[in-house]
Amino acid sequence: MAQNSTRRPLPGRHPLSREFITAHQRVRIINGLAAEASEKGYRAVTIADVVKRAGIARNTFYENFGSKEECFRAAQKYAMSSALEQVVAAAGEIGNWPERVEAGMAAFLAYVAREPALARTCMVEALAAGPESVQYYEESLQAFVSLFRLGRDVSPHGGELPETLEEALIGGVFWILYQRLLLAETDRIEELLPELVEFTLTPYLGAETARRRALDGADRAAVASADG
Amino acid sequence: MRDPVNPSVDSPEYPPELARLPPGRHGLPREFVSRNQRERLIAGLAEAVAENGYAGTTIAHITRHAAVSRRTFYEHFGSKDECFVAAYDSVMTELNRRVGDAFEQEQEWPQAIRAGLAAMLQFLAEEPHLARLSMVEALVAGPVVIERYDAAIQSLVPFFEAGRKGRSPEVLAGLSPTTEEALVGGIVSLISRRIFADRTAELQSLLPDLVEFALTPYLGSAEAAKVARAG
Repeated sequence: MAQNSTRRPLPGRHPLSREFITAHQRVRIINGLAAEASEKGYRAVTIADVVKRAGIARNTFYENFGSKEECFRAAQKYAMSSALEQVVAAAGEIGNWPERVEAGMAAFLAYVAREPALARTCMVEALAAGPESVQYYEESLQAFVSLFRLGRDVSPHGGELPETLEEALIGGVFWILYQRLLLAETDRIEELLPELVEFTLTPYLGAETARRRALDGADRAAVASADG
Repeated sequence: MRDPVNPSVDSPEYPPELARLPPGRHGLPREFVSRNQRERLIAGLAEAVAENGYAGTTIAHITRHAAVSRRTFYEHFGSKDECFVAAYDSVMTELNRRVGDAFEQEQEWPQAIRAGLAAMLQFLAEEPHLARLSMVEALVAGPVVIERYDAAIQSLVPFFEAGRKGRSPEVLAGLSPTTEEALVGGIVSLISRRIFADRTAELQSLLPDLVEFALTPYLGSAEAAKVARAG
């Protein structure tokens, strides 16, 4: 036990707090579940699979989660809140709406490309994981809905757009990403940025403006990466 | 004339189990009875799944709803999963047929899209059990069904791609290679989330929104809204 240890922590390295270890373990378990679920589907995954994948003891699993379902909900919350955090960090301060959509989308795609298993968990498996997960999925979707809905204020026909437009746009974006995840084309996810931006801006700004904006964005990105 | 496959009732080849069918049902060929049982099992599965969810459904639930014996179940299907796949396929075949027929009856593409979407919403609204089976339970039924689910959704892409024909170069330049996939994904997401929430009865009221959403990239907002609100 740590208290009985004669070894002092190395200078400059604080002993790892219990909370830190617990948080770290939870993330490992969550990642284990996501990896297993994307290989065989959530329903077929057992706690034994997760334990093995995460490289932890079965007891450790139960110290953190009461059941597979509880672990799934934690995975979903962890992934959704990380993704949203990055979208807000990238886009929250931008006043110009099309630029804001583009920055937010870029951050979201980057997250999906970096965490394909977790992203799949949120975008697909959540719908198969019971009513509470579906409820949470719906709530997180609303965060994206409000980002897009701001576009009605800058659209020349904002007042006439169908009520369900934002839901349909987000559903479309999720579907495209899901297809790429299924095909394991993770490395190509970020390339989708211009077309997804165009797809989402078109109903608000018209196809031509949306296309110009998306292309400008791609040019800016190319210039930035050439400079960097 | 003797038919070796469907022997007549008085022929010696006539299967004895069919001779025991109640009066008024004589003369049913074996293949018919068998197909009928299979259809009853498929319908029984849809009812059982609506009642218990896919995970909670047992073969006993299915045979009770279908009013057939357990042994009959195993003559047709090796497992619950196999029965589900058959049910899923038969729902999708029917849905595709109705969407395809509706689409082909219209001369103009925008109206054809409207008719196809209307047929899809009508089928799902009229058959809430089958709607749930194909759009919700399919997601938990394992990798085999998921693969079919994805293929079924992707099979809608060509209906939308047909809208590229005859568009101006400016419009075509604005359509990216994934436009149709994104449209289909958005439409299915709107529909399946209503089914998840047990709001299947509302599906048909989505028609104008879905039509406008689907047509906007090809026709622009104003024209798309006009088609959506007509009819």
